Amino acid sequence: MSELYVVFKVEDGEYVLQASDVLQMESFAGATKVPGTPPYVAGLIHIRGRVVPVVDLRLRFGLPRIEPTMDSRVIVVQSGERTVGLLVDSAREIMKIAPEGLSAPPSWMGGESAGFVKSVAHVERRPGEKRLVMLVNFQKIIGQEGIYVDERNG
Amino acid sequence: MSSGFDASEFLAGYLVEAEEHLSASTMNLLAVEASLRKGENNPRAVRELFRSLHTVKGLSAMVGVEPIVDIAHAMETVLRHADRAAGALSAKAVEALLAGLRAIGERVRALSVNAPVAPAPPHLLDALAALEITKNEAPLTVEIDLEPDVLVKLSAAERAQLIQGVEGGRRALRVDFVPSPARAAEGMTITTVRERIGAFAEIVKVVPLSIPVSDAAPGGLAFALLVLTDGRDEELAAAVGATPEHVREVLHPRPEGGADPLGEPSTAEEDVGETEGRRRGIVRVEVARLDDALERLSALVITRFRLARAVDALAAQGVNVGELGDIVKSYGRQVRDLRGAIMRARMVPVAELLDRVPLIVRGLSRATNKPVRVVIDAGKAELDKAVAERIFPAIVHLIRNAVDHAIEPPAERRRLGKPEEGLVRVTCFERSTNQLELCIIDDGRGIDREAVARKASRPVPADDAGLLDLITQPGLTTLEQATKTSGRGLGMDIVKRAVVDQLGGEMSLRTTLGAGTTFTLRIPLTITIVDAFSFVCGDQTFVAPVAAIEEIVEVAPEGLVRGPARHTRFGEVRFLERRGEIVPLVNLASVFSLGAGDEPKALLVRRNGAPLAFGIQRMVGQQEVVIRPLEDPLVKVAGVSGSTDLGDGRPTLVLDLVALSGALSQNRTEVAV
Repeated sequence: MSELYVVFKVEDGEYVLQASDVLQMESFAGATKVPGTPPYVAGLIHIRGRVVPVVDLRLRFGLPRIEPTMDSRVIVVQSGERTVGLLVDSAREIMKIAPEGLSAPPSWMGGESAGFVKSVAHVERRPGEKRLVMLVNFQKIIGQEGIYVDERNG
Repeated sequence: MSSGFDASEFLAGYLVEAEEHLSASTMNLLAVEASLRKGENNPRAVRELFRSLHTVKGLSAMVGVEPIVDIAHAMETVLRHADRAAGALSAKAVEALLAGLRAIGERVRALSVNAPVAPAPPHLLDALAALEITKNEAPLTVEIDLEPDVLVKLSAAERAQLIQGVEGGRRALRVDFVPSPARAAEGMTITTVRERIGAFAEIVKVVPLSIPVSDAAPGGLAFALLVLTDGRDEELAAAVGATPEHVREVLHPRPEGGADPLGEPSTAEEDVGETEGRRRGIVRVEVARLDDALERLSALVITRFRLARAVDALAAQGVNVGELGDIVKSYGRQVRDLRGAIMRARMVPVAELLDRVPLIVRGLSRATNKPVRVVIDAGKAELDKAVAERIFPAIVHLIRNAVDHAIEPPAERRRLGKPEEGLVRVTCFERSTNQLELCIIDDGRGIDREAVARKASRPVPADDAGLLDLITQPGLTTLEQATKTSGRGLGMDIVKRAVVDQLGGEMSLRTTLGAGTTFTLRIPLTITIVDAFSFVCGDQTFVAPVAAIEEIVEVAPEGLVRGPARHTRFGEVRFLERRGEIVPLVNLASVFSLGAGDEPKALLVRRNGAPLAFGIQRMVGQQEVVIRPLEDPLVKVAGVSGSTDLGDGRPTLVLDLVALSGALSQNRTEVAV
């Protein structure tokens, strides 16, 4: 059975997240910086009474920082106990992907974004025109506590 | 006052005001009782009580509630005498006054629910009148052995002070000091005499007296000092340059079993029995004391972690820690239970919080000429005192909206086939171990999405959630003309701010046109509130608990200690001198990598006795803030203990500068310049 995915863009890449994990999407009006956090932590925002940390996916993926635009969105994702916002360049589409449409990422997808992509899918935009979307590994992006500490010190 | 006087509108105000005076009076009376137990008077509380009862009497006369006027009058008379007698009230009087407050409270509540008001209970009035007589005689039972011209200078409070001192086991003594140039030359003036005597005795009063001019008294002036002391006569005499014979006892202890008003059987027994029973086993505790206990508890938690680590280390060395491990585990459970117990001590029953709601609805109902029935179902739910204080105004606002805007006037309701009497329900239950659900439900006209959208010049919201977002926009009101009761005060945006932004709760709305509206508030059972300074540093606003900051220091260049600069990874460390102590000063902006700027002020903190000053740009203010812990590992950093909302809807970081100073000192890697 096909599942719903939220599609978002970071630079030229098109990424997807399972829609069932997405709590909501907000436009980005700035965040409160938390000193001492890694550069890719954009800061804290209030979402419906919750204080939620925001990860700037551009910086997380090793891309240059840009000023947020009208299209910038915070996708609030819940995973287990944790709720984290992802700051992306734009997000305006939802699509269905069948499980068999997802495949392992190609081996060349290494470098800075290594491990951030769980799988890829070729989806048809129009008949005959296919595009590649990447399913992100949310766990890896927000970092498990242990991994996060190692990353900071190393 | 007779023409154009709107009695119903006045009654709404009366109910609220009477209730306020009653609760203040109860507090004051309990304060009097507490003082009494320590054998002291509480003139301030008595004065407050007197004023409150006087006001209640006056207000009640205006709305024409004779029974309350009668009770308040009898109580006022007792209190007037007590006030004149420096706040002296017997335990029996306190009991009778409590019964009086209860009787007034019952009648105010009866008024608020349209029930008939019972006449003043005769036995209560009799009991109060009986007190008045004994009070009249009370000052005469004690004789102070002083000349009338001295005695007249003593206020009631000072007499009471003397009497209490003697009852407390000290002696009330008088000694006269006669000033002269010769004595002044020896350094003996009334000022030095006061100081000397003050060191071993309590000076109750110094009365200047005019005496015949003599060699010893060239000024014709003497001072009679009335003191309470355990000291010897010789000591007192020496202090004024006199001999012990000149020291005189002015008040003698009352004989055993004398006129002790406390021992008499209470005539108001029946009336006060119940009140007594309800108060038994209840202790009033300042929330600050419970917070203190919690803070001490957190030290226990740290000890537990250290224990666990030490046990792990032993285990790593191959030691069999079987039993020790179990003990540490159960110790952990006990600490957790203790924390729960302290948190429970801070809880108040929601039913108690909602006690005032019928009164408010009654007032609003009168002011709007809409009959409204109120149903409250709070069960046994409890809420942290601090949360209760913050949520109550939001509840009141929602109720006010319901009566003002939602409930239709009776004629309209009749036309719609609804019962003439509107219904406002407040229900409450514990949704989980840490969340409470409160519903404010009305059977009024419902909220018209399209009308709201039109008014706000916004697209029509698709659902109730969208409607809630719209009506909680700041500054929105759907009524063309603000009504008397809702025209001012909180808007819905403030309700949202209190519930959602400050308390971290949730709010939802369900409305059906013509059938009614339900607001559902989900709020945390407990929160952490501290008194905090807000300040700017590196152009970002932060707050830090007042308790952690020893001092706010002006950093002046001339106050800095000259010397070799020390450069560390968190910026340059300079030193300032503070009361002979050298205090390291770091720029908070550089510690936080916010770019070093001016640091005209500094916050001085102390960790394990070692001071450290954090330079900041400027202070903003001081306020109570609700701290929301930051739990996500992405933002768990040293020195940041949580986040708060200062009212701009954005998170503001709460700093733990003591922890930050600890982190810095462990991390004092110096860099070569």
